[in-house]
Amino acid sequence: MSYLNITEVESAVTSLATAFPGTSELIDLPEPSVEERACHALRIGAAPSGTNDCAVLIGGVHAREWGSCEILIHLVADLLEAYDAGTGLGYGGTTFTADDVRKILRELDLVVFPLVNPDGRRYSQTVEPLWRKNRNPARSGGDPERIGVDINRNYDFLFDFATAFHPTAAPRVSTDPGDIVYQGPEPFSEPETRNVRWLFDTWPRTRWFVDVHSYSEDMLTVWGDDENQSDDGLQNFLNPDFDHLRGLGADVYGEFLAKSDADDSTVLAERFCAAVHGVRGRTYRAMSGYQLYPTSGTSDDYAYSRHIVDRRKGKILGFTVEWGDEAGGFHPPWAEMKRIVRDVDAGLVQFCLAALA
Amino acid sequence: MSSTCQPILRVRVHARDAETLRALLRDTRPDVGGIAHRADDGSCSIVAYVSPDQAEALEREGVSVTTIDDAAAKGRARQAEVGDGDRFAPADAVPHGLADKI
Repeated sequence: MSYLNITEVESAVTSLATAFPGTSELIDLPEPSVEERACHALRIGAAPSGTNDCAVLIGGVHAREWGSCEILIHLVADLLEAYDAGTGLGYGGTTFTADDVRKILRELDLVVFPLVNPDGRRYSQTVEPLWRKNRNPARSGGDPERIGVDINRNYDFLFDFATAFHPTAAPRVSTDPGDIVYQGPEPFSEPETRNVRWLFDTWPRTRWFVDVHSYSEDMLTVWGDDENQSDDGLQNFLNPDFDHLRGLGADVYGEFLAKSDADDSTVLAERFCAAVHGVRGRTYRAMSGYQLYPTSGTSDDYAYSRHIVDRRKGKILGFTVEWGDEAGGFHPPWAEMKRIVRDVDAGLVQFCLAALA
Repeated sequence: MSSTCQPILRVRVHARDAETLRALLRDTRPDVGGIAHRADDGSCSIVAYVSPDQAEALEREGVSVTTIDDAAAKGRARQAEVGDGDRFAPADAVPHGLADKI
């Protein structure tokens, strides 16, 4: 085994759906990628779709973060194999019983979309290994240096960052197509982002969302635009009174997060980290996304913000995993990546169990 | 990100304090990997992915830049560890997870 190419990610997903017809369902995403590649996800669960609350896991958003797809493919394979055989799962020092596996398969709809950005992954794996964005040439003006949109800046959350943020906050996002964090011309301009939104809309019982990225060994909770606070509901992303004040992490502004949601998010993130640590001792940190750097337009903030923007939508607790460390960077040797897969998959299994608790 | 075969250096950027690092990141907008680390003496460091010219441009008062490696060259070498063909094409080929089934 080694890193999966994009054909193999697709065929892995379809072969799992074929091998486990009673517990998995192949999902055709509605839109092909910019380069017209079909995209697929898997729903796994023993109950009919929509019976249970749902967790959506995505990966392969940033092209160069290759191992994210492998983490999700192996997670699904572990759960399906173990449920089918009636076994538990052992990831080094972190273990789960057969009852744990049954609980996940019987009480959760788990929707896994392992490769959101196939065009970018292909380019990274065959041409420029450090490519991050998708391969949309629409705003490049023919300049290959200006191709692509950062999919994880293209969601509809504080998209007008020049208005939302303090001038010195310098959120990690850009309106320049030549920048590595180019947000695109408008929210959801990219088919890859719209596919993720479609999953949320199609599984309205989605309550948890995890976007798998690298690197820094963190489990990030919302928010990414500023420090969290649970005291002043007026300080929120919809309130224009706080335009030009966000992103400094000082006393001026804090993004409101209801205490119960803050507590739930922290518990889930910490349970993830504890399970990772149990595998072989790696220490992942639970923290809000802002602690990494200020951002706008990210998937986890968008997922959580949906129920605030539209009260008819269900609440989704959003998370971002940043797997791997500086030494391995974006492309650890496959031998090390396998160890990281086991670390993170243990964390995700525990995350699912904690979510159901 | 520049075109193929040009070096992209992975560098460690050391700044004397958090404000110096913030100002540097705001002014130069390098591609950063991971999170900034703060030492007990208040100094901060972060890893960035930059061209050789950008690496020079990061140098300023209170900032030092140490090259770790050529990340683009390392990544191109890692491309050899990407699968060839389609290992799951045969009808009975199914991916297996990495956990022990216990």
